[in-house]
Amino acid sequence: MKITRRAFLRASAYAGAGLTISFRLPFSTTAAPDTVFAPNAYIRIAPDNTITLWVTRSEMGQGVRTNLPAALAEELEVDLGQVRLEQAMPGSRFKGIRLRTSGSGSSSGTFLALRKAGAAAREMLISAAAGTWNVDRAACRAEHGAVAHSASGRKLTYGELAERAAQLPVPAAPPLKDPKNFRLLGKPLRRADGLAIVHGRAGYGIDARVPGMLFAVMERCPYLGGQLVSFDARRAMAVPGVRHVVPIHSGIFAGVAVAADNTWVALKGREALEVKWAAGKDSDFDSDRFMESLKSAAAQEGYSVRREGDPERALAAAAQQIQAVYEYPFQAHAPLETMNCTADVRSDSCEIWVPTQTPETAFNSIAKSLGLPPEKIKVHTTLLGGGFGRRLFVDYADEAVELSKAIGKPVQLLWTRTDDMRNGFFHPASIEHMRAGFSARGIEAWLHKSVGSDLSMFGLPSAEQMKDKQRYAKDESPWGAFDTFYNFPALKVDYVPVDSPVPTGAWRAVEYPSRVFARESFLDEAAHALGKDPLQLRIDLLQPGGILTLGEQKIDRSRMIRVLEAAREKSGWAKPLAHSSERFFGRGVAINTYFGESYVAQVADVSVARDFSDLRIHRIVCIVDCGLAINPSGIEGQVESGITWGLSAALHGKIDFREGRAQQGTYSDFRVMPMNEMPAVETYILPNGNDPSGFGEHPVPPAAPAVANAVFAACGKRARKLPITLA
Amino acid sequence: MATFTLTINGSKHSVTAPPDMPLLWVLRDLLQMTGTKYGCGVGGCGACTIHHGTVAVRACQIPISEAHGQSYTTIEGLGGAGEHPCQRAWIEEDVSQCGYCQAGMIMAAAALLHENPNPTDEEIDATMSNSLCRCGTYGRVRRAIHRAARAGAGA
Repeated sequence: MKITRRAFLRASAYAGAGLTISFRLPFSTTAAPDTVFAPNAYIRIAPDNTITLWVTRSEMGQGVRTNLPAALAEELEVDLGQVRLEQAMPGSRFKGIRLRTSGSGSSSGTFLALRKAGAAAREMLISAAAGTWNVDRAACRAEHGAVAHSASGRKLTYGELAERAAQLPVPAAPPLKDPKNFRLLGKPLRRADGLAIVHGRAGYGIDARVPGMLFAVMERCPYLGGQLVSFDARRAMAVPGVRHVVPIHSGIFAGVAVAADNTWVALKGREALEVKWAAGKDSDFDSDRFMESLKSAAAQEGYSVRREGDPERALAAAAQQIQAVYEYPFQAHAPLETMNCTADVRSDSCEIWVPTQTPETAFNSIAKSLGLPPEKIKVHTTLLGGGFGRRLFVDYADEAVELSKAIGKPVQLLWTRTDDMRNGFFHPASIEHMRAGFSARGIEAWLHKSVGSDLSMFGLPSAEQMKDKQRYAKDESPWGAFDTFYNFPALKVDYVPVDSPVPTGAWRAVEYPSRVFARESFLDEAAHALGKDPLQLRIDLLQPGGILTLGEQKIDRSRMIRVLEAAREKSGWAKPLAHSSERFFGRGVAINTYFGESYVAQVADVSVARDFSDLRIHRIVCIVDCGLAINPSGIEGQVESGITWGLSAALHGKIDFREGRAQQGTYSDFRVMPMNEMPAVETYILPNGNDPSGFGEHPVPPAAPAVANAVFAACGKRARKLPITLA
Repeated sequence: MATFTLTINGSKHSVTAPPDMPLLWVLRDLLQMTGTKYGCGVGGCGACTIHHGTVAVRACQIPISEAHGQSYTTIEGLGGAGEHPCQRAWIEEDVSQCGYCQAGMIMAAAALLHENPNPTDEEIDATMSNSLCRCGTYGRVRRAIHRAARAGAGA
């Protein structure tokens, strides 16, 4: 995501409260639909030496509660263990500050501002010490949470200096440390919450406990666009421990909630409910038929998003043409912690505990639905048992608030696993129609037409907005197609939006996985058709390197080439594959960049049984250029994580709709990668002097095409549809 | 509703519950021990793994009527008052990402090591593939189990 790196510092001193520095984090503009504005965070150094950082992003495994304090502690010259973490809450104190976690921008987007804040505080503390001792500040230095005067051996802790420092002016441009002196940044750091997690003390949303609370589950309408007609609560209310049965309308699907003394009794009550649903106009929706309709829609002209050279003429003039259609199905998020929220709505206040990526959306939604003033609303962001984009939406918080208000008691509303898979937002299905024309020189024309649905959870564009033929080009969408970075003599990228009744939302890497699957697979097809090495062809198509500017994105083709060259070396690209009488072996490569930020290449080694009865992925080598790796251990974790996510989709993930209902509802029919199917993952981070860039989603998109390309290399079968089937 | 007694982490508890109430909800909602997690409720993800004696079991699959008079260990009690070698190894290998599944992972790993103090990769895979992690921490889980084995977790 494009970040305008502007940071502003301001300070305010509260009598007796020590030194508080508030700082504005970089303003963020982006083509992504999750564009929001400048965030902000606060640190506090108290006279008792506690240093508190209010973490302005949600921890969902990507390591913000490790990386953000590291950036601060580095400049402030304190030990990481000295920084106490508080989770920022929406409301007056953080008004106007971004608390949203999306776009893989949490660490990179707060990095410089946190360093500046730490540096400014450090400089002020040094000045305070120098003033106290009446010595030259150049003779003082900050270390381990104190300022020392070497000549006299005197030392004052930050706590002792806090109040005096708070009276001083904030330096506008405090000197930042030379990266070669970093103690923390760029070194492997362990997760801040690691200890609490392994002892079962870490607090997720589902762990919220409020005195007097009830536990609830909800029977949800199984039909897309269906309605609640009526319900009979008598049998449910007869279950001992069931206290309330309430219709709920504020979520994605209408439903009937059962609130009880505990979750089990609520589940029993739900079983006993009798509910009548109206199926609605989408009761015949079938995802197989929808895929066919997408293929038909590929005949439409659609919206032009990129055009270079004269692609139609170049294609017509080509000595050879190839074309293919790639398919990507609907997907669920399936985080281990299902959606849940605990709400305590009183007549004049509302407090909720929610695992969310976007607490301010929950806050605003409560203000709107309950009409409460901001100071009467408290939104506690808990740890998230996985986010992956699903928790950018607060439908599950709205439901809990509606329920608590209706029953007048604090209540936790928990989604079951099946609710979570069938009644949430889905990753939209899409198809990619790819065409290429070759001459003896190589690829002359590349035409990519993407057909799929816009993300409905942001609201679909109006008919008036759709009249703007440039709307998707201006949005730089679809990601992975618009930002095709290969240097083709002629290029055409079009998008055909086709609405579906399926609620669709951001999934890990949002629009990239399906488009990168098609782009990187079809390039592999082109390489084979041309008789060229797929890795070398990519390098050739990135020549002569340098910056490709596309809208607000700057894609550095030289960095991409470097990543590919490292992939060739580290994967042993040219080394012979294993051979056996039972299996075919193959190796494939795929690459991507995410908004021109971080660069990734993956090489997969796979084998396929000679009777095509199974596919095994043996190894994936991942080369990473993410600028400064703030925490290399975290980056390596994200690589393994993103690849696992990508492989789950490559091998297993798919949600089908039949007669308007999602079919899969457990981990046995919507499978995710288990340990015994995981390949060895080797991660290599290329050191460089670039600013840190995001990495939470980046390893996802190349995984599926790297595997599909390796499958083709192994056995000559081209997988154009996920999940991969060999039959 | 009936009254049942059971021992959790060495302490005796008495609960009033419907006989079919799974131990998972007894732990979480009645005894306020929230370290054991709900992931699927059908024994398919491993997030609620606890120990019956030294054997890994799924808390969502054990009705309280069966747990009556029995003794269980949860993540909160693993390693007694101290730290189990698996917990230490998990920290040292920096396994956790979102961390939600890790209590179940650690309980499954500790039971495996009790039964097999020095498992191979294949033996680890065979047991641990019943525990799902959507963040994909599997490589580190495997490393942590080997590390815990070296530290004598199975001894």
